[in-house]
This record gives sequence, structure tokens and C-alpha cells, in this order.
Amino acid sequence: MSIKIGIFGRFALASALVGSLLLSACSNKGVSGDTDTTKKDGVTTITFWHENTGVGEEAINDVVDAFNKKHKDIQVKAVYTAANESQNEKLLTAVAGGNPPDVSWFDRFKVGSWAEEGSLTDLTEFAEKDGIQKDQYYPFAWEEASYKGKLYAMPVDTDARLLFYNKDAFKEAGLDPEKPPKTIAELESMAEKLTVKQGKRFKRIGFIPWYNQGWLYSWGWSFGGNFYDQKTNKVTANDPKIVESLQWMTDYAKKYNVEDIAGFTDSKGSGAMDPFLTGQLAMHIGGNWSISGYLKYKPDLNYGVAPIPTPSGTDFTSWSGGMAVVIPKGAKHPKEAWEFVKFFGSEEGQEIYNGKYKTLSVIDSVNKKLGYMDHPIFREFIKILPNSHNRPVIPEGELLWNELSNAVDNSIHGNGKPKDLLDAATEKVNKALK
Amino acid sequence: MNPTMLKRWKHSLGHLVLIAASAFFIIPFIWMVSTSLKPIEQVFTFPPEWIPKPFAWENYLKAVDYIPFWKYLINTTVITILSTLGVVLSCPLVAYSFAKLKWRGRNLLFAATLAVMMIPGQVTMIPLFLIFNQLGMVGTSLPLIIPQFFGVPFYIFLLRQFFLGLPDSLREAAKMDGASEWRIYWQIMLPLAKPAVLAVGLFQLMASWTDFLGPLLYLTNEDSYTLSLALQQFQSKQGSEWSLMMAVSTIMTVPIIILFFFLQKTFIKGITFSGIKG
Amino acid sequence: MKIIERMNANPTQEIKTSKKKAHLSKGITGVLFASPWLIGLFLFYLIPLIVSIYFSFTSYSILQPGEFIGLQNYQELLSDNLFLKSISNTIYFAVFYVPLSIIFGVGLAMLLNMKIKGMTIYRTLFFLPTLVPHVAIAVLWMWLLNPGFGLINGFLDMIGISGPSWLGSEKWSKPSLIFMSLWGIGQSVVIYLAGLGDISNDYYEAAEIDGANWFQRTFHITIPLLTPVIFYNLVMGVIGAFQQFTLPYTLTQGQGKPANSLTFYVMYLYDNGFKYFRMGYASAMAWILFVVIMILTVLIFWSSKRWVHYQGK
Repeated sequence: MSIKIGIFGRFALASALVGSLLLSACSNKGVSGDTDTTKKDGVTTITFWHENTGVGEEAINDVVDAFNKKHKDIQVKAVYTAANESQNEKLLTAVAGGNPPDVSWFDRFKVGSWAEEGSLTDLTEFAEKDGIQKDQYYPFAWEEASYKGKLYAMPVDTDARLLFYNKDAFKEAGLDPEKPPKTIAELESMAEKLTVKQGKRFKRIGFIPWYNQGWLYSWGWSFGGNFYDQKTNKVTANDPKIVESLQWMTDYAKKYNVEDIAGFTDSKGSGAMDPFLTGQLAMHIGGNWSISGYLKYKPDLNYGVAPIPTPSGTDFTSWSGGMAVVIPKGAKHPKEAWEFVKFFGSEEGQEIYNGKYKTLSVIDSVNKKLGYMDHPIFREFIKILPNSHNRPVIPEGELLWNELSNAVDNSIHGNGKPKDLLDAATEKVNKALK
Repeated sequence: MNPTMLKRWKHSLGHLVLIAASAFFIIPFIWMVSTSLKPIEQVFTFPPEWIPKPFAWENYLKAVDYIPFWKYLINTTVITILSTLGVVLSCPLVAYSFAKLKWRGRNLLFAATLAVMMIPGQVTMIPLFLIFNQLGMVGTSLPLIIPQFFGVPFYIFLLRQFFLGLPDSLREAAKMDGASEWRIYWQIMLPLAKPAVLAVGLFQLMASWTDFLGPLLYLTNEDSYTLSLALQQFQSKQGSEWSLMMAVSTIMTVPIIILFFFLQKTFIKGITFSGIKG
Repeated sequence: MKIIERMNANPTQEIKTSKKKAHLSKGITGVLFASPWLIGLFLFYLIPLIVSIYFSFTSYSILQPGEFIGLQNYQELLSDNLFLKSISNTIYFAVFYVPLSIIFGVGLAMLLNMKIKGMTIYRTLFFLPTLVPHVAIAVLWMWLLNPGFGLINGFLDMIGISGPSWLGSEKWSKPSLIFMSLWGIGQSVVIYLAGLGDISNDYYEAAEIDGANWFQRTFHITIPLLTPVIFYNLVMGVIGAFQQFTLPYTLTQGQGKPANSLTFYVMYLYDNGFKYFRMGYASAMAWILFVVIMILTVLIFWSSKRWVHYQGK
């Protein structure tokens, strides 16, 4: 037994030695790898954090390369952070620790809350000095990048929501594949024709209002509602038109039995697991970013897009979000950072980025230049953009989002009336806004 | 029925139950491996298919090329080995002190050790980050390694339970022979707790190996990233590279499986002190 | 504290080598042995903990220090419906998950502790689910539980039962989650196995001589001597169940769907702290959770005197 102990002991001792050696080696590496080499021979290096992967990362690198070639005195270093949109702890902790990057990729949705916290650099003066103006961009994009009249972010791409419909399914159901529904009534009757149900199971569902991008924002605006009153700084999610839209969703849920539909809505994965690709879902509200996935997983999918139906069949609208670049508070080189931010938001930067990544630019002329108008699907997106909305830029944007999402979820499951749920959500958010 | 027959019958029954149950437990792994070998269009077929047609072995090459795999592998390995080492050195020592030594404030500190586990990490994450920020360690892999050398409450508690189970008579006998506390710990108690120490080491190894949040917060230099961060690179809004992601996951999982396969014997056979009567 | 002290009161018979000097040096040795942890506990655990108590009385937002607002966060919580909903969800989960995980864990460990051929392979197989990355697990389960074409409903169909929509149904979403969580108990099984290996063969030999059957051996030797480990897994199970986060968060993309039936306590805490920038509020939530878990743990410790048997004694 004593021999056994000896071996175990010696092993532990040896590993401790090796360990301490490795430790010192490793810590050295860490420190030297991260020292601030920002200024050298008159060249300022600025760090740019982003979370794009694949082609998106290549697109960002192209923009960075183009910028670096133009500017001898400022060099941008792009760093992939492995963060994702929903979990932004990395930037948050870095800002809290007083050591943020000079420029960061940023979801415009969060501009309101971060600006309110004073954690974004005000870009208004920079923009004024360099003649960057509101009218160069889509109205919603500029608005979503601003908070209380000040510019805090530079919008760089955008998206929109439209009705996607499967033309083959339309043909099968005896519908004209070139005539997608325009009114809510048409949508309902077509959905009914497209639905094939066997017992509790759907072989094909015509339409699920709340599926994918069928958020309350998509319907509320299409029904003519308004979510926010800028004058009084109050959320108005209980606007009668919005209540009406939720009532419609709720009736729909009742008609088709929400539990039966739940299999498609709640167990869905990402990518090609989308029932739209398998033909199990004939229509849905989707975003432009899905297009490349459809092309990848099912290139022969015969589908079309159309504006989200409205009660009247006119006044079509959509809503748009997208990414921006920001200069976090505490950044070491705001001036140099602005040069890069400006470049990314310029027509040149926009063309490089969105051209490579096949995303929509926030500048109308760039979208036309990129040839989107010649593409049957993209064209519809570009056409809706001038009439698109942006979500209210308020500090409680996330709360409002979750409250709306909960209201829809509870309402379609029969836990409360649309009006009451939206009243409660409105009150909760307004209370938080104070 | 004679005893050997009974035994044989019992064994067959055991195998039967085990095979049935393990079929259930092996599903996720098979799934992962199968997905890793599927051509992209087959990943999401309905109903799910278990056998890739054809086997896309090239996924593994592609996945390794997609990210700086070897660099990240080394980074992950270094962090994992060091933090595991830290746990194995510190935790049994502290646990032994909590279980077998008497000192003032011991119970209070043990209570504190339990208490700190009861506050969700989401709340202490920011203050902890700020501490490492003050220490100038943000941007290095030290915050992922150093704390382990000072003990981890989960493991201290676990090891304490094991030490409590060891007979005091052993200690007393050694004491009579004039052994120091350190010698008693190092030469008698620690070897006896080897299975538990190995288990704890394995847990830490797995934790460090797959840790995402820690590296995400503390590593700011792409050259020092780990494999779990790299997994994120296969995901994007426009559709994820599932098969490549599963290929890297599989590569990450296999070493741990092998390690577990060989280590587990120690969990069972490790303590053979039946000769020492309590 | 008293309770812990009592349960800690090892009958470590003081060796009568004698007196204060020995006692003093022993005290110092104990502190020395625990010294790494004294530093670690203070630096990496207690400071953040104390800071979070302070936060719970402020409107701290991570990005801004906020103001001292006294008990306002706590008061507000009492009328927060989603907070109350998340409590009931979490208790539901804990009440079912913790006992089930112990029963299944001990059962599995005993099964895996049999002396038959190929056991090393079986043990490895049972450990596999804990090794597969969370994202993969979440995706896989969504497919297995898919009401339309999932394996599980397919199987139920075969035996003539029409399965529910599992994760899509308010009634079945939590049972589904419990079921999924039980799948990943490999770690506690390893701990049980280590505990089983810790049981001296003498006991079984003696029992064999007394002619005890399998049932008697299990309930009079195995289980009682496994209690220190069961005790550990019970405490950790309670802590883990109340802090349940990653799996439901990944599964529902943070939304807790359907109808908030999967919104667990820490998920709501996380949203408050990191999405709504109300870290003060989240800290208050954390401290309420702390008190609850603390009370449960004290109860477990207090009861443990009656049912936990240490071989060492």
C-alpha cells in the first residue's frame, strides 16, 4: 500500500510543478497578447467587436480592409466576440469594467436602453460636422439609431417582414399562385382552403398568425395601430386597433385549436426544419434573412412574398430592425472610431457590406445599386422599406417586447382577454418608463 | 435452481435491463455523431433519419478548417488541465480540514461555503468581473484558472462528505505513531479519497472544457479563444452549419469519453481498505 | 449555525496526548489546510455576494450605479405577477425533479455497480448525455418531442395512445422538461458510484454470512451507507433545481413559452438584470431565492441527523 501512495503522491507533486510552470507561461502569454498597442508611429489602432460569423464575418472584414487601405493613420482591428444578439454580456461587462472596444456591433433595438444609461457616445456633433444627415437613410433606420433627438448609432443594415407563401401549395388547393391574399378576410379563407387536417394532426397548415415573425408588432401596425406616443412618452400597446389584431389572432387560435398547432410553433428548430420548407406550412410571416437559408436547404422551393395583409387590403406596412455600429462610452479613441463608423454608414461601406452579405442596406440608393430590384423576392422587401416602422426607441424596449410577446402567448392560450392583457402590459411598461 | 444457474440468470437479466436503458441514454450521442456526418441537405429531413446517406466524412475536415481548430484546442487544453489541477490540489485539502480537523470558526465557514452556492451566478457575475478587472486579469485566461486553485464550493462540499465517511481510527493510529497532520492527510487520507478526488477532477475537467460564459467574458484576444467559443461560429441568423458544429462537438466529446472509460474503474475499485477494520 | 454545528459534531475522540498546546496547534493546522479557500471564499465569492446584497437595495443597472432605494425592489416584487408565476413554476419543477433524480440516480448507480461483464461500457454510455453540448441537446429534444413526427409520439401511437404536444402544451411542458433533465443525471450517478465503491465489502460479507437477501442488503447496507452521498445530491439537487436556467432558456429562446409555463425563477432574474438593466431588482430576487434555499438546506441538514450515516463513525 505504501508504494501505491508513493506513486500517487509523486504524481501529484510532479503535476503541481508542471502546472506552475505552465501557469506562468500562460499568464505571460495572456498579458503580452493584450497590451494596449494602440498608438505606434502615428498610427492609431482601434478595436472593433462584432459577432458575425461565416459570410457575415467576411463582409465585415471587407469593410475593415477597405477602410484600412484608405486610412494610413487609423487601422481597425476586427475581433469576433462569440457573443450573440440575445446574450450581450460581453460588451456589457466590458463597458461596466471601463474597458470597452472603440467600436462595437450593436442591435439598434437596444439603442434606447443603452443611451438612457449613458453608455453610448453621442454621435450628433460628429455627424453634423461631417454632413451626415437624416434624409440619406430610411426614416425608420435613422429614428431607431437616435434617442431623444440625438444620434447614438450608425445604422448599417436592415430587414423587413412580409408574407411568404408556397406557390405549389396554392396550386394544389386550387388557388391562383400569383394572387396572394391582400385582406385579412382573404388570408383567412385561403388559409382554410390550404389547411389539411387529419384528426388532431395537420398534414398542412394554411397559416399561423403568430408563427415566426408574426409578432404583435407585425399585426398591430398592419391593423393600423400605434405602439408609442412620442409626445407623451407613453406606450400605447392597448390601442384599440392593436387589441383588434390580437383579438383576431386569438379567434384564429380558437378556430384551429392552439394546442394542435403548438407542435409547429413551439417545437420548431432553426434552418430547414421550418415547416414552410417541408410544405407543411403554406404561408407565414417571415424576414428577408430567411431567403438564403431557403436557397441553401431547398433551392427549388416555389414561393413568393407579398405585403402582410391588412383589414382593408391597402396601406401595407412592415417593421424593420437591424444592426448598427456604436462607440461605447469609455472608448479610448472616439475620434478615430467615428471615422470608421462614418465609413461603415457611408454608401461605400454600405455597398461593400450588404453586397457581400446579401443584406438590405439602410440607404435606398445602395439597395437599388445592388440590383435587389431585379430579384423577384428582394424587390418586394425594398418596396416596403420606405413605409416600414421601427420599434419604439425607449429605455424599456426589451420589457415592451417581452410583455407583448407574453400577451400574445397568453391570449392565444386562452389565459385572459386581449384587452385586459394589453392593458396590463401597457401599464407595466409605462410604470417602468415613469 | 443451483447457485451458478441463478447467477447466470441474474446476469442475463442485468444485461437486458442495461441494454434497454442505455439505448435510451445513448440517443443524444448517436444523434450528434450522425448529424456530424450528414450532408447539409439531410440534416433536417422529416422524419429524422439516423443514418447519413452518404457519409459526409469531409465535414470533419471542413469543420477543422472553418475555425483555427488546433490553436483553440491547445488553449482549451491548457485552461482545462490547469483548472483541473487547481481543483484537485485545493479542494481535498480544504474538504479534509472541514471534515476532520477542528478549528475555530470552522462551522461558520462551512456554512458560508454552502451559502455562496445559493446565490445564482447571474448576480455575482458582474462584481466578480469587476474584481478581475481590478486585478488586471481581464483579457487573459487567468480568471478561468486562478479561482480553481483556491477551491470550489461544490467540490469542497462533495469531498467533505467523503472524508466524513473515512474512519477516524486511521487518523488516531497514525497520530499515535507520531505522524504530522500533513503526513496523515497526504499519505493516508488523500489516497483513500482518490476515487472522489478523481470524480471531482473529472467534473472540473468537463466544466472547463465546455465552459462558454467564462471565456466569453474574459478572453478578448481571438488568439486565446477556446473551442466552446468556436462552436458559436457555426451559428448565424441566416442558418447554422449544424453538421460542422456537431463534428466539432464530437471531436470535443471523444477525449472525455475515453478518459471517463479508463478513469471509472478507479471510482469503484479505488478504495480497497477493507483490510483496515474500522 | 447551531444545526450545522450539531451535525458536524464528529465524535472525533480527542486523543489524550493532551492539552492546550496540542489543541492549539491542531486549530492552526486546520486553518492552514483551509487557507486557500479562506482567500478564495473571500475574494471570489463573499465580496461579490456582499456587493449583491447592497445592489438589492439600489436601482443599480450594471451600466450605472443607481440610487439607494431601500426596500422598494422587494416591495415591487410582491406585486409582480410574472415573478409569482416563475416561483410556482420553479417549485413545481423542484418538487418533482429532486426526488425523481435521487430515485433514478441511486437506481441507475446500483444497476451500474453490478459485477457483470462489459460494465465499463455501460457506465460510459449512461454518462454520454452529460457530454453532448446543450445546443445539440435542445435541438434533439425538440425533435424527439415533436407532436407530429417525433419519436416519442410515434411510439405512443404504436401502442394506441395519442400523445400530447409536449413542449407546446402548457400542461405538459414542465413534465417534458423534468423528463429531459433526468436524462442528464450522469454526474450524480458518478457520485453515487463513487459512494457505492466506498462501501466496505466487509458489510456485505457479514450480511452474506447472516443469510440476508438482496432486498435486505440494499435497504440495510447499501442505502444507509450511501446516505452521505444522497445527502450531498439532495442539497445540490435543491440548489440546482431552484437555479434551473440553461436548458429552458435555450429551449424557449428565453421566452419561457408556452404561456410562461417554462419561465423559471433565474430566467426571469436574468431578463431583469441583463435585458431590462434592473440588476438591483434581480439582486433582490437572488436574495429571496437565497433565503428560500437556505431554509430548505437548513431543514435538510437538521433532518440529516436522523437519516445520514457516516461509515467513519
